[in-house]
This record gives sequence, structure tokens and C-alpha cells, in this order.
Amino acid sequence: MVFSYVPVLALFLLAGGFAVFSIIAGRLSGPRRYNRAKYDAYECGIEPTPQPIGGGRFPVKYYLTAMLFIVFDIEIIFLYPWAVAFAQKGGATVFLFVEMVLFIVTVFIAYVYVWRRGGLEWD
Amino acid sequence: MSPTFYLYLSAILFTIGTLGVLLRRNAIVVFMCIELMLNATNLALVTFSRINGTLDGQVMAFFVMVVAAAEVVVGLAIIVSVFRTRRSASVDDANLLKY
Amino acid sequence: MSPAIAHVAAALLPGAADPTTSFPTPHLDYRALLPMLIVGGVATLGVLVEAFVPRGKRGITQTVLALGGLVAAMVAVVSNTSIRNITAEGAISVDGPTLFIQGTVIAVSIGALLLIADRALASDADFAAQAADVPGSAAEQASVRAGFVHTEVFPLAMFAVAGMLLFPAANDLITMFVGLEVLSLPLYLLAGMARRRRLLSQEAALKYFLLGAFSSAFFVYGMALVYGYAGSVKFADIATALSSSTHGDPLIIVGLALLGIALIFKLSGAPFHWWTPDVYQGAPTPITAFMAAGTKIAAFGALMRVLFVAFGGLSWDWRPIIWGVAIVTMVVGAVIGVTQTDVKRLLAYSSIAHAGFLLTAVGGITVGTADSESSVLFYLVAYGFMTIGAFAIVMLVRDADGEANHLSRWVGLGRRSPLIAGIFAFFLLAFAGLPPTSGLWAKVAVFKAAYEGGAAPLVIVGMLASAVTAYYYVRIIVLMFFQEPAVDGPTVLAPTVFTSAAVVIGVAATLVLGIVPQPLLDLAGKAVPFLR
Repeated sequence: MVFSYVPVLALFLLAGGFAVFSIIAGRLSGPRRYNRAKYDAYECGIEPTPQPIGGGRFPVKYYLTAMLFIVFDIEIIFLYPWAVAFAQKGGATVFLFVEMVLFIVTVFIAYVYVWRRGGLEWD
Repeated sequence: MSPTFYLYLSAILFTIGTLGVLLRRNAIVVFMCIELMLNATNLALVTFSRINGTLDGQVMAFFVMVVAAAEVVVGLAIIVSVFRTRRSASVDDANLLKY
Repeated sequence: MSPAIAHVAAALLPGAADPTTSFPTPHLDYRALLPMLIVGGVATLGVLVEAFVPRGKRGITQTVLALGGLVAAMVAVVSNTSIRNITAEGAISVDGPTLFIQGTVIAVSIGALLLIADRALASDADFAAQAADVPGSAAEQASVRAGFVHTEVFPLAMFAVAGMLLFPAANDLITMFVGLEVLSLPLYLLAGMARRRRLLSQEAALKYFLLGAFSSAFFVYGMALVYGYAGSVKFADIATALSSSTHGDPLIIVGLALLGIALIFKLSGAPFHWWTPDVYQGAPTPITAFMAAGTKIAAFGALMRVLFVAFGGLSWDWRPIIWGVAIVTMVVGAVIGVTQTDVKRLLAYSSIAHAGFLLTAVGGITVGTADSESSVLFYLVAYGFMTIGAFAIVMLVRDADGEANHLSRWVGLGRRSPLIAGIFAFFLLAFAGLPPTSGLWAKVAVFKAAYEGGAAPLVIVGMLASAVTAYYYVRIIVLMFFQEPAVDGPTVLAPTVFTSAAVVIGVAATLVLGIVPQPLLDLAGKAVPFLR
């Protein structure tokens, strides 16, 4: 019973160990060049572009990108129960494989529509 | 801990969401309250899944999440276009259709 | 599944089905599912057409694709008539009522699609050139000048049809929920796509969306409670759980109440009907025709399946509620309809009243009597065709800036264009349930079923409400034929082939069913009962 948690514990140790290792290795081996961006709270590594002044509004373009992200991100949720079923021995492997291919093709059709209609272009 | 507490929590969240839909005036906030109702449902589904000892409830929660995401996309598209027209997302301002 | 994961799953979920068993191939009867697969596939193809076909050819490609898909789906339904099969691991029930309702939905969708195609491809299209443009902006004028057409209406409408086919066929609550959303989400968008009076259209979309999403949330919470009670959302399992336990568990009562709210919202029954007039008025008229006919047909199929198949054991609890809802719906539809001055709003209240008449048969049921089920099916066919036809006529009567929907503009229309006004009057007679139309036999059928099911009070209210609705229909006929037309009256658009076809289908179905109703009544009788 308790032993069944060993893989989880191992994963915790692995993750923690990697974090500690990365920080120490970075200190020891990396160059130290501090600038404004590095002193800021971490955003994405470069100096943040100017924010809208006085609580102004963000361009509606961000909204489109965010929506596309949410839709394609959430579709992937169905991969989890599928993976569990697929991993079982002696199951309907071919059927499951075909079903998932169909699912991904359908999602990809939506992606193709977004791409062809310019949803992925910023300007 | 008894799983029924999660059911009480989910009922409370659902009620808060319902009241929010009925009382709030900003379309975005109304919509967030609807999302709260859906998430209360997800909590109830996984709790019942645990109580019943079947996995169906968890898979149903996935379906509810995906549908909620699709609803977000459709709903925000409508709300954004209304806002761009009227410069307001208040549901009280949407009063041209009546009687 | 690896043994370690299996152990974790077993520890987390006591009593879960043994996780080491393999996943068997589910049983899918592809032939029974064919209509839904065709329509869903065509809708997806429509998305690809939007992506790859050049702008100028999209409209015609989409029209051919959508109409072809609907005809193919109709052929599939007709060739399936002998199938009575619960398939997809119990998720979908392809039985008589399903096939009957699917056939009806496809037939009215063909009519609605003719209207949509007509108004999407015309030079003065009714759909926004680019729905994202701000009304009155330079961008909008540029889109109109560039001749943009929102051909996305076709795949959206086809997705809605796919939902309408799945909704009444669903045999468990989660499938029904997916069907409900596939039906609703495209309609929210379509409602906001009118080219003229865009503020009204956007407002209609906003109201429809917020209230529709609200009712969907009720549906899922009801589903969760039923799942908690029965341990499953399959209708057969719910019925079993109900039969093997005592009544009165709050979980199942509240769960059914929440499900009922969502379903009654969809079929626009009072007191959840407030969205109907606003959305019918604001949406582009072809879309109004589509959702008025299609949504109501699909929603009644779903309501009957939920009540009769899953919750038949609770009929003593839900029947009084359905009685109350039916009475309030009929009264609201009849009384508030009298004060309307906009023809689309008036038809919306008429549609509410019709929902009430249909509910009398549902409320009058003694579970298992085939009569009330088949009478509802017959009524849905009659109602679907007259609705498509009536909105097609509304589409034709126009002013310089789009449709002339105010009733004052319809004064004397019978003098100017007797044919169009005559056809509209014919549909109004059908709505009122007067001979020689299908409306008469539809009303006779539901009231007879309700009376025989012991719902005599409902029949009396129904008769009175019919009389009140007949008053406002006849008032329009009087106003069209017996009053002098205004000098600057509206013009009547010469109907194109598509619109004429839709009107002819509507008139023919209403007239033929009015003169020889028996074959369809027999067919509806053969389609019932629901497969349990």
C-alpha cells in the first residue's frame, strides 16, 4: 500500500533535485552581467514593452490569441483518459488508435481554418 | 473526511454563481458567474465519482470543462463585439429589444 | 496500464472497476449513426471549404455541400426506418421517435437552409459582411463595398443541425448535454449576424447566449445530482435506480427539477420563455426560422425521452409541474401575444403558445400510452413546416432598409400582393388550428391525447388559449385584406427559386397534412414508443 507511492516520491525528489542542481550550476558556470531586465520580476527575459497608460485597454489582438490558446489547449484534455485506456493490455488498440487519429484530424481542421484565415498573424 | 463536505461546497459555489448571474450587471462578470456554476458542477461530479466508486464522473467533468471552454470562446466573441459597438458591457444597457 | 499506476488508482478509488481489465472495442452501429455522422462530417468539411476555397466561390460551394449533406442524411434516415437499436455503449438510442424527429429536423433544416442560402448570397445580403466590424464604422463600409460574405453561416448552421440530431437521440445525460451545446453554440453566433439593425442583432445574441449558458449550467448540475443518486447517467440505469428505491430522495427530485428547467428553457416554455421574443426579433429572419422550428422539435424529443425513459418512475412528481408549466405557457403565449406590434415578436409568442399546446400532451401522458407520444410527433412536423413558411414570407416584405416587421407596415398588403398575403394568411390559419390546415389535426391530436390521459383541465385552458391566439392571427388577416394600404407601403421582394422552394414546401406540407393527415398519424403511431 505505502509502496505504491514510491514512484510519486521519486518524481518529487527528481524534480526538486533538478531545481537545486540548475540553480547551483547556474551560479557556478554562468557569466554575471546584471541589467534592468534581470532585476525586474521575471516576465519572459526581456524588458517589458510599455504598458497601456492610465489603465488603458489592451489591443483586442491579445484576446484572439488567448481564445485560440484556450480552445486548442483544452481539447488535449481528452488525451488523458484515452492514454489510460490505450495503455491497458489486450484492449482495442487499433480502434483506439484510429479514434484518436480522427480526433486529432478534426482538431487540426480547426487549426487549418485559423491559419488560412489569418488568425495566427499578429499584424 | 467525509466527501459530503465537498458536495456542500459545490452547492454553495453553485448558489453563489446563480446569485451572481441574477444580481451582477456587467456581462463579463455574469459570464464568470456562469463559469463558477459549471466548476461547482465539476466539483460535484468528481465527488460523486469518489462516492460511487466509478470513474464516469471524472470523465464527465472533462466534457463539462471542454464545453465550458467552447462557451467562453463563443461568449466572449459576442460580448467583445457588443462592447465595441456600445462601449459598455452592462446588461442593463442592452435594452433595445422589449415588449 | 502499468501495475504501479493501477495500484495508485485502486488506492484512490475504492470500488472502482478493476483497472487491470482491458478496454474492449465499443459497439458502434455505424448505419444507425449515419445521419449524425453525415451532417457532422459535412459541417467539418464546410470549415475546410472556408479555409481553402477562394472567396468568390465559397457561397455556392457551401450551399451545394450543405444541401447535399442534408439530403444524404435524409436518405440515411429513411433507409434506417426499421432500426430500433441502442448503440454506442448505451449512449445513443436510435429508435422510432429518434428517427421520426431526425427526419423532421432534417426536413425543416432543408427549408431553413434554402432561406439562409438565399439571404446569404443575395446582393443585399441579410448577414453581416464581417460580424467583427463595429456597426457604422468605416471598416464595416469597407467590408460591404468589398462584397464580403459570411459564408461561415453554413458550417455553423450544419453544426447546429448535427446537435439537433444528437439531442433527441441521446440516451444518457452527458451525451444529451453535448448535443445541447452543439445545437446552441452556433445559434448564439448566428443570432448576432444580421447586416441591418445590428445593435438589435448583437443584443439578441448577448441575451440568448447569457440565458442559454445559464440554463446549460442548470442542466449539468442536475446531471451531477442525478449521477450522485443513480451512480450513472444512462437513462436505463436511472430508471432502474428509481424502480428499486423509495421515492423522495432530494438528490433525484432536485436533479430532475434542474434538468427540467434547462429543457423547458430550450423549448421556450414559461416561465423560462423571456429570451424567445427578443431573440426571434433580433436574429436574422432565416436564422429565426431555423431555430424556431429546429430547436423546438429537437428539444421536445429530448424532453420526452428524459421524462418517459429515464424518469417514468417519478411521473407522479413531474406531471403536476408539467401541467403548471403548460398552463402558464399557453396563457403567456396567448395573452401577451395580443399586444404585439412586431410580426416577428408576434410569431415568437405564437411559438410559446404552441410549446404550451405540445406540453398538454406531455403532461397528459400516462407513461406508456403511445397516443400522446405520437400526437406530439405529428404536431412537431406540422409546426415545423408552417414556421419555416411563415418566416419565409416575413423575409420577403421589405422596406428600403431591410425587412418591414412592424405590423403597421403590413396594412393592406393583401391589396398590393394578394399571393404573398394569401399564403401568409394560410399559415396564420394553420397556426390558429383552423381547417383546411395541418394545424387543425395537430391540435386535435394533442388535445385528444391529453384528454384521454386525464388532463381535461389542460384541454379546457388549451381551447381558451387557442381562441385568444386565433384572435390575433385573424386580426392580421383583417389588417392585410380589409384595410386600405398606405401610400408608401413596403415592397414585396420577388421570391427567388430558393425562397419559393421553401415556401412551396411549407404550403404543400401544411395543406396535404390538413387534408390527409392519416398517413403521417399512422407513421407517428408506428414510430412510438421510446426504446427503453
